[in-house]
Amino acid sequence: MTEADPSARSAEPGDALLSVENLRKRFGGIVALDGVSVDVEQGITGLIGPNGAGKTTLFDCITGFLEPDSGRVRFDGEDITGDRPATLAQHGLVRSFQIPRELESMTVRENLLLSTPNQYGERLTGTWVRGEKFAADERRARRRADETAAFFELDHLLEEPAGNLSGGQRKLLEIARALLTDPKMVLLDEPMAGVNPSLEKKILDRIHELEAEGYAFLLVEHDVDVIMEHCEHVIVLHQGDLLTQGPPDAVRTDERVIDAYLGEEEL
Amino acid sequence: MALADFLITLLTFVTVYSLFGLGLNVKYGFTGLVDFGHVAYFMVGAYVTVVLTMPAEVAGYAGIGGLNLPAVFGALFPGGALVGWFVGIAGGMVAAAATSLLVGVPTLRLREDYLAITALGIATILNAVFENEEWLFNGPYGVQSVYEPLGDLFPLGLGSFTLNMVVLGGLSVLLFLVAGYAVVQHARRAGRRMRLLLGGLVALFVLWYFVQPVLAGGGMVAFERNLMWLFDPTAGQTGGLDYDRFLLLFATGLLAVAYWWVERTVNSPYGRVLRAVRDDEDVPKALGKQTYRYKIQAMMFGSALAGAAGALWAIQLGFISPEQFAPTLTFFAFTAVIIGGTANNKGVILGTAAFWLINSGTRFLNDYIPSEYSVQLAAARLMLIGVLLVVILYYRPEGILGEQDYTVNVPEDDAGGPGSLGGLVGGGDGD
Repeated sequence: MTEADPSARSAEPGDALLSVENLRKRFGGIVALDGVSVDVEQGITGLIGPNGAGKTTLFDCITGFLEPDSGRVRFDGEDITGDRPATLAQHGLVRSFQIPRELESMTVRENLLLSTPNQYGERLTGTWVRGEKFAADERRARRRADETAAFFELDHLLEEPAGNLSGGQRKLLEIARALLTDPKMVLLDEPMAGVNPSLEKKILDRIHELEAEGYAFLLVEHDVDVIMEHCEHVIVLHQGDLLTQGPPDAVRTDERVIDAYLGEEEL
Repeated sequence: MALADFLITLLTFVTVYSLFGLGLNVKYGFTGLVDFGHVAYFMVGAYVTVVLTMPAEVAGYAGIGGLNLPAVFGALFPGGALVGWFVGIAGGMVAAAATSLLVGVPTLRLREDYLAITALGIATILNAVFENEEWLFNGPYGVQSVYEPLGDLFPLGLGSFTLNMVVLGGLSVLLFLVAGYAVVQHARRAGRRMRLLLGGLVALFVLWYFVQPVLAGGGMVAFERNLMWLFDPTAGQTGGLDYDRFLLLFATGLLAVAYWWVERTVNSPYGRVLRAVRDDEDVPKALGKQTYRYKIQAMMFGSALAGAAGALWAIQLGFISPEQFAPTLTFFAFTAVIIGGTANNKGVILGTAAFWLINSGTRFLNDYIPSEYSVQLAAARLMLIGVLLVVILYYRPEGILGEQDYTVNVPEDDAGGPGSLGGLVGGGDGD
């Protein structure tokens, strides 16, 4: 795995870390994405839009959970359109789910252990044969899981079945699990929804710390204030199309954005 | 027939079906694949093993000829016949796994309810093919010649009648003592209700197995025969170990190997991914696991175990035909797995034992009720199992034992303490 290096990536203009070109997706008569083109660079990018704007569909199309009808997705210099989720995760593009999907019957530690890539013991032959590599990989995975759990203050819950966690802890687990896959970019679908303010602050602090270490984030969030305060770049979707994008201040004052949100939320 | 013989037949049944159930547990319990066609791999394993190990020319058999592997290997080196049989059962397992691969590639992409229906359909079709294509495996006439591994050694005697009786009888008593000790140990740790249940079951067993035969006119001879169940006084000149008893021990040995194998598979990072696939397939997918590959492998592994069970089943029956592999066997196995505890290997064995005890043990009630009710009794047996299943699903949906615990045994690391947070970023190649 190569470490994320922001300076190398932003050297060539136009060659963004994640670039979506003219993406279209329909569900029957509903046009969910109507030719969206956006570039996502390093740092924290916010994706906002009124309900039904196509945010989650865009996520699903980027991460391979849905196949777009047309258009291209490029990530880290490669065309990834139509690639399967597992391939993308191995490639460094990982997502969280809007509704946390922790594996309830498994412990928090097991949830976290699952994320470490390329474990020898996850192969059938590796598991049957075992040996030193098996042990070394498992120890490495445990160490990473424990460190990450400590970072997200979940370490006292490691042996707890994930189904017993509170809503906010589930969100943390979801993010922790995504980070353990060694991603270059993390797509977080409403990581702060239903989370109390102090935990929300904690999640945001963690995201900032990790951003400083070189992770890129694409954040879907309903709370526009959070996006405006914490993102360097904001993308606004409206009715399946890109409405505008730019720095928070520019977006905040954009007439079209205010129109789109009118009746929904005050900016 | 002495009760001991019945017990041995019943236990061999339980052993073979436990092996069958372990295979299902890999698919259904640990991976969440609802394979309603599990019996097909039982059938394929049985047929392929039998055909690989039987002589080339068998009267009344018109299917694909036998390879006679035991004779081939037996000619090469001493003990080769047994090796030949093991090659045969390995062939049966590979054939079962290969069949499940063919079934799995298209069906494992389906949603689980569709998978269940499709698998059931394919299993039924496969059974119809075996039934109707005589050139394949002799169609409805089946295969009469089933190779018995080590069969020429039995009845096995150690010498004089007394020696046989002392050694085999002593072994039997020892096994009873071990079983009794295990039950007592378990009861001491268990709660009050469990103790009552265990006590009741043991009392019932003693009444049925030891007291009843004596009172029924068997006298001490019946008691001794039942106590020394491994010793068959009628086997050979001087008594000894007959083939049925050997088959039970042999099957138990194979079950133990399979149990160890499945335990090793699920108590591992691999097993972790299987359970993740079972709980929510999108999650391991999103985390970079090729879930489809895991599903295929679990399907093949489970089917291979079913194939091994089929090979043993063929020996016990001494004859196989397509009608012995009815779809109901799959559902019996599902019932056993659910009763004992889904995703619990011990539970599979417990559930299988409970299922077949109820199904076969109640045959004894035939002696006590008027014969005109025997048909009703047969039907009542399945109803009883149905009631048991409903009661268990209502009060303990996770089964008697519930899901097992998992540990991945890894020796402690002597190098490298806990790293700092910086290890998180580049942790992929931390070692």
